[in-house]
Amino acid sequence: MFSFSEMLAQTSPELIVDRNYLSIKRDFDESANLRVFKGQITETELSSATMLLGKVVKEETSIRFIPLVPFGWNQEYTVVYNNIMDHFVIDLPDSYEHLSIETVYPSGRWVPTNILKWYIKFSSPINETNVYHHIEFIHSLGDTISKVILPLENALISDDGKLLTLWVEPGRQKRDLIPNKQLGPVFEKDKRYGLIIPKDLKDNNGVPMQEDFAHIFQTTPPDRQKPDTNSWKVLPPENDTDDLVILFHESMDYGSTMNGLTVINAEKKVITGDWQLIDNESISLFTPKKPWSKGNYKVLLDVTIEDLAGNNLNRLFDSKVNDTIPSSRYSSSYFALSFSIK
Amino acid sequence: MKTLVTFILALILSFFGSTVQADSSLKANFITGDPGITSINSMTFGPENILFIGDSKSAQIVAIDVSAHPKADNSEVKIDLLDKLIADMLGTKIDQVQITDMVVNPINDNIYLSVHHSSGIPVLLRVENNTLKQVTLDNVSHSKATISDPINKDAKDKWDRELRKWAVADMKYSSGKIMVSGLSNKEFASTFRSIDFPFTKKQDYGSLEIYHAAHGKYETHAPIKTFIPTKIKGNSHILAGYTCTPLVVFPMDKIKPGEHNKGRTVAELGSGNTPIDIVEIENGGKRYLLIANSNRPLMKMEFDDLEAYEGSLTTPVVKKGAAAGVAYVNLPYVNVRQLDKFQGNGFLIIKREANGNLALKKGNSWWLEK
Repeated sequence: MFSFSEMLAQTSPELIVDRNYLSIKRDFDESANLRVFKGQITETELSSATMLLGKVVKEETSIRFIPLVPFGWNQEYTVVYNNIMDHFVIDLPDSYEHLSIETVYPSGRWVPTNILKWYIKFSSPINETNVYHHIEFIHSLGDTISKVILPLENALISDDGKLLTLWVEPGRQKRDLIPNKQLGPVFEKDKRYGLIIPKDLKDNNGVPMQEDFAHIFQTTPPDRQKPDTNSWKVLPPENDTDDLVILFHESMDYGSTMNGLTVINAEKKVITGDWQLIDNESISLFTPKKPWSKGNYKVLLDVTIEDLAGNNLNRLFDSKVNDTIPSSRYSSSYFALSFSIK
Repeated sequence: MKTLVTFILALILSFFGSTVQADSSLKANFITGDPGITSINSMTFGPENILFIGDSKSAQIVAIDVSAHPKADNSEVKIDLLDKLIADMLGTKIDQVQITDMVVNPINDNIYLSVHHSSGIPVLLRVENNTLKQVTLDNVSHSKATISDPINKDAKDKWDRELRKWAVADMKYSSGKIMVSGLSNKEFASTFRSIDFPFTKKQDYGSLEIYHAAHGKYETHAPIKTFIPTKIKGNSHILAGYTCTPLVVFPMDKIKPGEHNKGRTVAELGSGNTPIDIVEIENGGKRYLLIANSNRPLMKMEFDDLEAYEGSLTTPVVKKGAAAGVAYVNLPYVNVRQLDKFQGNGFLIIKREANGNLALKKGNSWWLEK
């Protein structure tokens, strides 16, 4: 957020603008129209120029224009009111915090060739329009690989606009589908690749990143095993404020794992707290909101928790038709890990 | 006396009340106000000037009454540099706007465009005299239903983690139901829901599990990209287009909540492609399908051929990029980004032309004649 003084730009004594409105001293000739245009428009161009959408509000001594979407940084505009024609620009403050990428999931260097999803965590909300066109995968020679990401028209993004989900083209990752047969899987084993986001990607204010982003990873053979919950280990907290620790022994899918874990007590009441994934998403930590009480607990594991290749606790991502369990995916079913605090 | 006045007043009110209801039972529970739309991913028209808006951000479907919008004369509709026009109207740059959908009201051929701006503000526009007018959404006659996951909606602790997102891919109305397809970021699944309309408080969310088997061997839980409800040999079906690009039919009477429904793949339209929109158009007593694609020209398929095809594609298409199943014709329209039915037996498109111009224009219905 920026302070009012940073946003305020005054181009003439009568004109006050910030990103959300423009205000000008009111002329009491009621027929006077307030109009705003993008760019530097000349008088001769006025009749054919496109007016900005917005609301005009008449106040006691001034008239205000509220654009439908905020005025852009470093964008020229023309304002026309009665006999006034003026141009203005709202300069990007020097202190502006440019968009950057905080992390990607999976965060580790090694991923199976049949990886299904990536998550990108940004420092601030992004411009979602056609966002998937801004993300590329390259192989070790630097060439872009085509048809890696599932082309979605609407971005899969968290409510705060900062966490973007990418699906690696599932048709190529699933065995025997036409894209898989004709184009082959997206990644080959034992190769290095890069996930690249060029700096032209903008934030929700229309300001681009300052640096290109690259995350280099290396592929391991495909993972065609369901996560084995029998091998998962719960380390119960030793003190009443300690974290609960769950060891998965493999990197897990960030989204489904963060969503899929719940701790309940013996009375089946949900224990509230914060989850995080560490050590390349192979360990989960749970910090309870209140200190632990003595007793028996369970960690409920939603069956839709997936490993990096989209294999969940019930089925492989590309299971054969006769292996599937009808309708199980929509019933609330859980696996559970028990622990007790003495 | 007071009792009599009250009685007469009650009588008058009940008379007006019932008149309004008789006018439109579908809009009986509509209220006027702000439906709180925070994104427009998909739109479709139902009967009686009802525009449905799929809002993924607020996880809701909103039905809006647009009968107050006068009929625009769109007989000679053509808008060039559509993306530039929208960017100019918003005072922004072209790479900060995205047209998310285009629909035509079948009652009066009014054309609506939904736009997403980088700020996250959704914009609804209506075509008038070959330019665009804003349709405000903060005070409209509407009714809405939530599309939150019916299974996990009570798991508040999990919802606090806010990772799960669901994006509406397509939405269609048919016989008292609004059907929605989409994809979540959590699980790769063919999420397909059917919601009764008029919306009620006690909503039955049919979460339908429908899939197509790839050559009978591997099951694909792929999400439906675009679909239409239609009749095949007189029976109600869903005709669905998937990425890369099988066309699959599902008999409506077999789609039931909680049951696994396997569709019949009637065509493969070639790999490296995604269907964008499907419309059904009747012209000269013949029914046609038009399919707009991300990476193939506009396709025309005849219903006679679709109905005559009783098989199901079970063997892989060996020849790279080749099509199989029901025959179709490629029409000379490439890079069609949006498609809808227009003027009864014609079609309207938004297409990127070879010189870069993004144009909204009529298709030539000559292509839909025998």
